[in-house]
Parts: sequence; structure tokens; C-alpha cells
Amino acid sequence: MRAARLFSLEARRLLRGRLSLLALLLTALSPLAGLTFYRPIDPVTTLDGCLANPSLAGGLAGGVLFGLLAIHECDRARRARVETLVDAAVSPLVYALVRLLALLAFAALALGLTMLAWLPWTAWTAGGVFDLQTYLLMYLVFMGLALPLCVLLGGAAYQFTRRQDLSIVLFAALCALSLTVWAEEWQLCFLNPCVWAVSDDFTNFRILRSVAYVRLTWLLGLAGVWGVSWLCVRRYGKGALGSLLRAARRVYRPAVALCLLAACGWAYAAQPFVDHSNPDLTAMTFYEIPFMEGVTCLSRTADVRPDVNAGTVWGRATYEFANASGREQTVALAINPGYEVTSVKANGADVPFHIGDYQESNWALLQATLPADAQIELEIVYGGFPQEWNVSETMQGSDEISSRYICLEHASLAPYILNAEAEGGVLPATIEVTLPTGMTAIPFGTAEAEVVSENGDGTATWRYEDEGPGGILYAGDYVCADVEAAGLTVRFYYGRKHQGIMEEAGAADAIRAVAEYCAAHYGAPSFVPDGTLKLIESRVSGGGYATAGASLADEQDFTAANLSDAAKGGMAGEVMIHELVHQWWGLGCMFDVADPSGAWSAEGLTVYTCYRIVKELYGEAYAQEHYVEMWRAAVEGYARNFYVRNPEYLAALPEEEQLAIANSLSQIRQYSEMPLKILKAEELVGGEAAMDAILSGLFNRELDPMYPYLTYADFLAACGLTEEDLSLETDLSL
Amino acid sequence: MHIEIQNLEMTYPNGKRALDGVSLSLRSPSLVGLLGPNGAGKSTLMKLLVAALLPTKGAVFVNGSPMPGAERALKAQLGYLPQDFGLFDELTATQFLSYMAALKGLKDSRAAVQEAIAAVGLEEKARARIRTLSGGQRQRVGIAQALLGDAPFLILDEPTVGLDPEERIRFRNLFSRVARDRLVLLSTHIIDDVQSVCDHLIVLHQGKVRFMGTPSELIRSAQGHVGTFLAKNAAQEKGLRVTARINTAEGVLCRVVAKALPDFVRPETPALEDAYLYLISGEAMA
Amino acid sequence: MKRIYLYELKRLLWNKFFIGLLLVTLFYGGQVLQNETLLGVADTAPFSPWSFGAYLGRMLPLLWVGALFFLTFFTGAAQKRVAALTDATPAPPRRYDLARLAAAATGAALLSLAAVAEALFFYARMFAWYGWGALLPAALLALVPALALALGGGWLLGRARPWLLWLWAALPFVLMVLPLPQALSMLNGSFFSAYPASLDALDPAFALPGGVLAAQILLLATGAAAAVLGAGRRDVRV
Repeated sequence: MRAARLFSLEARRLLRGRLSLLALLLTALSPLAGLTFYRPIDPVTTLDGCLANPSLAGGLAGGVLFGLLAIHECDRARRARVETLVDAAVSPLVYALVRLLALLAFAALALGLTMLAWLPWTAWTAGGVFDLQTYLLMYLVFMGLALPLCVLLGGAAYQFTRRQDLSIVLFAALCALSLTVWAEEWQLCFLNPCVWAVSDDFTNFRILRSVAYVRLTWLLGLAGVWGVSWLCVRRYGKGALGSLLRAARRVYRPAVALCLLAACGWAYAAQPFVDHSNPDLTAMTFYEIPFMEGVTCLSRTADVRPDVNAGTVWGRATYEFANASGREQTVALAINPGYEVTSVKANGADVPFHIGDYQESNWALLQATLPADAQIELEIVYGGFPQEWNVSETMQGSDEISSRYICLEHASLAPYILNAEAEGGVLPATIEVTLPTGMTAIPFGTAEAEVVSENGDGTATWRYEDEGPGGILYAGDYVCADVEAAGLTVRFYYGRKHQGIMEEAGAADAIRAVAEYCAAHYGAPSFVPDGTLKLIESRVSGGGYATAGASLADEQDFTAANLSDAAKGGMAGEVMIHELVHQWWGLGCMFDVADPSGAWSAEGLTVYTCYRIVKELYGEAYAQEHYVEMWRAAVEGYARNFYVRNPEYLAALPEEEQLAIANSLSQIRQYSEMPLKILKAEELVGGEAAMDAILSGLFNRELDPMYPYLTYADFLAACGLTEEDLSLETDLSL
Repeated sequence: MHIEIQNLEMTYPNGKRALDGVSLSLRSPSLVGLLGPNGAGKSTLMKLLVAALLPTKGAVFVNGSPMPGAERALKAQLGYLPQDFGLFDELTATQFLSYMAALKGLKDSRAAVQEAIAAVGLEEKARARIRTLSGGQRQRVGIAQALLGDAPFLILDEPTVGLDPEERIRFRNLFSRVARDRLVLLSTHIIDDVQSVCDHLIVLHQGKVRFMGTPSELIRSAQGHVGTFLAKNAAQEKGLRVTARINTAEGVLCRVVAKALPDFVRPETPALEDAYLYLISGEAMA
Repeated sequence: MKRIYLYELKRLLWNKFFIGLLLVTLFYGGQVLQNETLLGVADTAPFSPWSFGAYLGRMLPLLWVGALFFLTFFTGAAQKRVAALTDATPAPPRRYDLARLAAAATGAALLSLAAVAEALFFYARMFAWYGWGALLPAALLALVPALALALGGGWLLGRARPWLLWLWAALPFVLMVLPLPQALSMLNGSFFSAYPASLDALDPAFALPGGVLAAQILLLATGAAAAVLGAGRRDVRV
């Protein structure tokens, strides 16, 4: 009761204090910063600009304000020299606890007022893509959780040091670290979480969960640190250590603090969002596992049931094997590192299995023992929260699983066989997936899914027949529009929330233009069976990819702002063009990936073709500025890079640093150096028409079935040029 | 040392008039006691004397030179102990005194510091951090810094606050000793201090000088206005300023001051405290 | 005043504030070196004067705040209470203030030296590189004018109103997000990455455009002028 009275006293004092009210007012206004000078997300989607940036800015500014307010409040008694009087009236420990609670309640009030104040404006600005749940969650997670973090941090700093100035330095240094050197460390940047984009058309639960997790981890840690600092609250004329030893006599106090710290450490280490793949992107250990001798895989099935509320997956996968070896063998499968396997049965009997600790390319290795039987049916029950690849740890959100959007790629969909040959080279697969009604299942490829049962519980089961050991499944609240172009039917799937904007902006016309250009210059893509190509709008993912019969285009390409950008000729985004072009270069014409650090890959010709399309659509000046000049700058940058010029220094660095630097440099060669070389070849062979003829010839060349890949040597030979001819050293200031 | 104060007025920005037409003349050697109730203007007068404030009106002369032009000359001869002061908690007592000696520009600062430490009896704590000193010890450091370098003019504002009775007597004697060849202005609430050592008294009340003279002159002014009586009921006390009540076997013995003593009050020989209270309360009654 | 300077230095440095500040600075510096400086700026070596300057630019807000916190020793409430004694001494206020300012400057210099030493240790450990002399001009130009401005301006503002020091301390953090003209871009460290990148040369030698040099001299002069202007001012008298 005494504490409650004290709390009410402190809370009322905060409500009357000029400085605390100023902090509250500034916090409520701080989302303005996200609209003006502090925009952590380059706003592309509507919600980036009117919800994510303001709430992130509110979190940063509000956090800093409340951290400083906490320090100021902690120092109040000492500053006014009434410490002795206050300590005589109430235990310093009780008072510190009450003050913390009052500050936290005040922070909650600030958050509530901010949310209330910004609601009408956000709803009006976001228009059709606004929904209240997203609004509340983003303000709560992006902004709200930052305030208690900073209150705890400020309070702990003061209770340790008992000096306002030193506390401010400590607080400022940690904030500055979060904003600068930790900005790319998704678990460390507690003040400015790694949110790179939010979706308008689909949901954002994955990134919200990730940020909330990081913030809660920090909350645990800082609550623990605050707890230790609380024990250091000076009593009986003792110093920090003496007070701590005295306060720790009640064992539950340090025990609670240590438990909080341990929970923080555990939460940090056991985060479920990002895997621990080998940072060496060229590593291919799993592909080097020798195939099982005398064992072929005849078929596979999977029954996948995503839990759209928890963001998890449950699945049962079966594999039919023929074992001619007459002995036990070990089958290797890749699964998402976030999944657990609950049982593996061969012909109905449990068999031993093991998931290794080593991870690579977002895969973990599941190994199970196949019996010596001639015919084996292997059943694997798996599930869990899918983890994303650590290379994109600052761009999380792609493994979104919600009632409006699902993306399950390869080993996230079902275990992926690594060491068994398929009978006849083709592995038939039957996939069933149970989704909420209202969602459309879209296999990424040529397969078509259809509903096989309505389950009567708000879900429906979809089934599709596919081929191969893996596969990608998209599902969501999609609208489908068929676009006819150059003899192709482009089946264009896009989010229902976006229907008005898509139709108004004529996105279909843009798709038609790209397909017609490529078909006219290189011919029909051979990997588009029955002339149908799916183009799927994905949730914001920072790019796209393509496979036989399907291309993925990022939601960002179709935002209202992007579609109506006059500078781009009213054309949809260039990532979509890029991914569509991959139907020709990369799928219609394949490239070997034997040397991932080399310059030659499907990307060179794809990027070059994009440049040609963009040049045709938007004019030469635009293409020169946004393609050629950017390639040139990137290649010059690459050549100028200190570590490229001085590899001995790179070699001297610790391995982790070496890999980080090498990874950041490797893509430049494929995405910028090679297109620039192709452009040079174009000049040397006599211009665009001549190059088009050469590329058309290469695209339609007779393929060697043993090695169907287009090599750099093939390209040079077709152009009648040598590697030296295409050297860029004389063209660029290298 | 000669300090001349002419018609000094001090009004604070909030409109409070702290001093109103104060004129004084102080000459060494002398130990002048400055008395007055809270808010009388004692601290303001001292701050004006050490050039921490500028007067609204009037002038202060130091050895004939007007302030603030003579500020430097005044401070070169000044030892000052304010009522409310701070010390550098990070330093030891010796270091702090050495610091102050440097600021005062003392030539042989080491000897001066040792002398001051010895004068206030702080030898045992000389090397202790000020942070670790008690309230009384801190006060002694404050007195020591005022004594540094044998300044000819000492201004001491409540110097014995926080000291135990034994120490108070010791410091009272110290002040008396140093005042033999210097001018010491001692502001205090403790009448005993003034009575035993001061050769001159100034009583300030409501910003004005109410009395200036020797302690015996002040005592004489209360002759016939001090008495005692055994209180039977409260009505008897009406119109009288009771200065003390003592429980005796016969009842409560009240000591009073009054402009005219009633018949039931037995006249007594006034003490300095009675005289002071009579002066102050007399003002009130008037 | 030498004794005053030494005692003030002792007060500033011999306490847990300085040790805490030093530890925070070293920790922050380590993070910057490991995560940013290691990559080098403008394609120069991590140990080039440019990369080193960029590192110091990153450290500057912390050093700036540290320098200003030294000033709070002279403008805080505790100091005000001691001023009741010190103001009554015949010491010339200007000289007294300058002695204390010198002590604060020494504290800031020691803090800066710690940051510099940490970088030199980093270079030695990572690259076995010891050409320290080449970094001196960058260090002097990046730190001295900025810290002089911090101290001079802070002194002037802090003597006027102690809370103004806090606003002054926030300045480098505001500058971090502002697009400054090139002449002033050393204040937020962007000069060290932008200028060498604009030069059409590999591993350009360390040089300053006239405008930047003039701005640095101006900042230094402004800091010194503010210090002199602020020195000798007494607390408000009625």
C-alpha cells in the first residue's frame, strides 16, 4: 500500500513536472522526424513513409528523451540535496523501484498519446493500405518498446555511477553505437532496429516479431542490468560494492537480476529468426556429399500445414526409395535450420536420424539411416519456425507466414534430398498444403495448384504435382490477371489490396512491353512450357528471382509512387524487368556456376538486356545514367578498393573480416563488370544490331546435352573477340 | 585597515530590499560582532563587503579607496568564510588549502597552509580527502582557508556552526587572538560568542542598523526592562516578551523583556541576550 | 597559476568520471575500428590519414561531450558553492579561468590521445603498420579546432547559463545528420570520406582544400576567442 501511494505520488509529480511534460510533448511530436530528416527506410511503399519511418523515429527520439528524463529524475534528490531527507522517509531501494515504475507508466502514457495523435493522419495518408492492427503493432514495437529500454538504461547508468554527467555519457555512447557501428548488427541496434522495408499489400508479422524479439532481449538484459544497479543503490554510507553486498543478502534480489541477465544471454544466443550459415558464400559442402550407391529416389510427397497465427510450419514428407545395394545407407537431406524433426520412419519403423550443427546457405543437414530393404518409404515429420539466411539478417521479413501471405522456399517447404539420384533424372513430387480459405496457393514454376478439399474449419487443402527435390510455394490473398504478349501468356498474380493501383497504372502494359522485347530480339523462352509464364508479386524482399515458367517481382516495383513516376515513363520497376529477362538468360539459356567469384554468370547478359530495354523504353539518357554510369562507378570502385589492390592486407586479416569484405565485393564483378564488358563488345562488333544478332545466335544455339551451359569462351568466340579485347583497364580510370 | 560604508542600499531584482541606508565605519584592530535576526541583511552586507554583490546605492571605501575599484586591494587583504560554501571533495584538506593559497598569491604557501591547519586543529585530517570529513571538520577547513596568509581583514559568517561546544570556545579564543592586530567581522546567532570576544557590536534589523557600539552599551540600554516572575496563569504573560521559561519547585519562572515592567515582575540585571532581544522586540512593539 | 592548473587537472582526471569516460571512449573506438575503419574510406587503406580522420570524425561527438563534461566541473552547482570562497580571493579571474580551461583542455587532449593510441594499436595488431607520423596532420586538424570550439564555446555558454552546456553537447550529434558544406564537413567527419573520393587519384596524399583549412582555422580562432571572452566573467551579480 505504501508503495502504491508512493507510485501515485511519483506519477503525479511527473505529470506536473515541466521537463517531464516537455519530454512527453516532444515524444508525441517525434514521429515528425521520420517524415523529415530521420528516415531510416528509403520510403518506397506507402507504409514505409507514413507509418514505419514515423514510428521508428518516434522510438529513437522518444527513447533518447526518456533515457535522459530517467537520468534527470534519478539525480533529482541529489541535485536538490534532499537525499538525506528522502532516504530517511523511504527506503532508497523502494523509492528507486517506484520511480522506475512511474517512469515506465509515464512512457506508456506518452506512447498512448502519440498513437492517438497520429492515428487520423496515418489513416488518411495510407488510404487503402491502412489497417489498424498494423498501425498499433508498428507503433508498439518500433516505438513503444524503445521507451522502457532507454528508461532502464538511463536509470541503470545513474544507479551505477551516481553521476548525472557520467550517466549521460554512458547512455549517449550506447545510443551512438546503436546508431552507427551496430546499425548493421540486427541484434545489437536496440534503438534503431533493422527495418529496411514494410509491406503495403501483405502482412509484416515476421519483421514485427523480429524487432519485438530484439527489443525484448534487450529489455531482459537491461532489466537485469538495472536490477544489479538497483542493488548498488547507495545505503548506509557504503559505496556501490558495499551496498550491493548488503542488498544481496536477500538472495532473491540478485537471483532475479542474474536470471534476467541469463535469460537475455539465452535469448540472444538462441534467437529463432536467423540461421548460422557459413559466412563463406562460396562454400558448397552439401552439394559435395556423395550420392548413395545403388539408391534411387522414385518420388516424394509433402503435406504442409502452415500455422498462420504462430508463423510456424508443420509438415510430413515422404520419399520412395529403391535400394539395390542390399545394405543400410545414410540419406542426407537439407532442412531449414529453424525446423525440428520429430520423427523419421522407414517402412513404418523408426530409424536413427541426426541434424548437424553446421549450416550453409540457409540449410541444415538432416541425416537418417535407410534400411537395407529394396523398397523404402521414408517418412519425416518436421516443423518449427523457419529461419532466414544470415546473409540477409538486416533485411528480414521474407519468410512471412500469415493469413494473407506465405512464402516457403525449398528446405523451408519440405526436406530437400541431397544425395539420391532420381529415377530417370526426374523426381516427381506431390505437394499438399493446407491454407486458410481465401488464400491462393501458387507453386513457383510450371505446376498449377488446385483445391482438393474444403476442410470446414476455415481452411482448404491445395495440391499440385511438381518435379525435383525442392520447390517454392507462394500463397496469399492474390488476384490473377492474364497478360498476352508475343505469344506468351503472362499470368500476373498480385495482392488484392493493390488491385486498384495496378489497374490504374497499367502494369499489364509494362509486362507486355518486356516480354515483347525479349521475344523479338532472342526468341521465345524455351523454359516456358505451354507458353504460360507466372509473374508473382512478392512481399517486399529487395529483389526477385526466376525459375522455369515463373518470375518473381518485388512489391516495391508496383507501389503507387513507383508506378506513377514520370521519370520512368510510367513503367513498373526495373527489378521486375530483370526477373522477367531471366526467363531468357539464366533459364532459356543456362550458365554454369562453377566459379561464383568470377564475372561470367547469367547476371551479365540479364543486366545488359535490362539496360537495352530501359534504353528503349525511357530513352538513352536515362539508361546511360542509371545503368552504364552505375556499372562504371561500381567497377571503378571495385578496382580502386584497397583490399582488391592489396590482397596481402586482406589475407592478413582474421578470417571473419576477410569473408565479410570479400562477400561485399564479389557481386560487383557479375552485376557490373560483365555488363560493361558486354557493352564494350557491342561497340567492337559494330553496334546494337550486331550484338542482338550474336545474342540471338547464342540463345538459339545447338545445345550439348552433357554441358548445356553458355560459357564466356562461347560468348567471346561468337563475338570474335578475346578476353584482352574486353579488358576495361584502358576504358576506365583504373 | 579601515572600511567605511556610506548610506548603503541593496534591493534584489525581486524587489526585496535587503539593506536600507546602512552607514558604518570599521577600523582595525577590532572584533566586530554582527547580530540580527534571519533576513536582517547580514549576509547581504558581507557579500557587499567582499565584492560578491554590487550595491544599488551608496558606497564602500577600503582604506579610503572606493569599491569596486579597490576590489583587488580589498581581496588581497581579505580572509572570508561565507555561511554557505563548498569545498572540492576530490582534494585533501592540505591540497585544498594549498589551492586557496595559490589563488591568494601567498609566497610561502606551504608554511601558510601548515599554520592554518595547526590553527584549526586539523593536523590529523590534513591528508584526508575532504569527502571523508565530518561537517565540523569541513567547517574547520573553511575557517583555515580564511586564516591563510594572516589577512588583515577577516569576514566570518556563522563560523562556529556545526562545531561542538569545546571547539566553539577554542575558535572564539582564536578569533579574539587574531583580532588583536586585525579587523574581524563576525556574524553569528550565538550571543555567547559575541559577548565573550567582540569589542564592538552592530545589530541589523530589517535592513537597517539598529545599534552600533560596545556590548556593555547594548546591555545598558536594556537596564530596567528585564525581569522575572513565577507564572500562575497565561493571562499574566500578555504584553510581555518572554525570553526564557525555567521549571522550578514553585512553578515556571519566566524571564521577560518589556518597555515597562509590570508590578508582579521582579527586575533583573540584563544579559547581552536580553538586551539584544529587547532591542529587536522593542522595534516590534514600537 | 601552475599549481591551480595541476590541482584542477587532478580533480578532473583522478576520479571515476574520467575512468568511466575513458572506458566508454575505448569501447566505442574499438567498435568503430572493427566495424568501419577496417574497411577504409574512399578506397584508401584503413591506416591512411583519410580513414584515420574518418575514425576520429566518428569519435568526435564522444570526445566533444567528454570535453564539455570536464567543463561541468567548473560550472556545476558544487563549483558554484566553492566559488563563494574562490571569488573572494585576489586571483585575477581571467587567469584563474584560463588555468581551469587549460586543465579541461588537457583532459580532452588525454581522452583524444587515448582514442588515437587505440587506433595505432589496432593498426599495429591488424596490419603491422607503424607509420604513425603520417597520421599526425589528420589528427591535429580533425581534433584540435573542433575541441577548441567545444571548450571555448562551452566555457562561454556554461558561464552564462550552465544548462546551455547540454545544448552545446548535443551539437555534434545534430551535425551528424546535417548535410554540411565541404568547408565545415570536418565537424561531422564526412570530409575524410567525401573529399578523397572526389579526387581523381588512387590513395591520394593527405591534403586540405583552402576552404576547409580556413574553416578549421576559423573554428580554432572562434574557440579561442570564446574562451578568452568567457574567461574572467563572474557569475551574475545583482
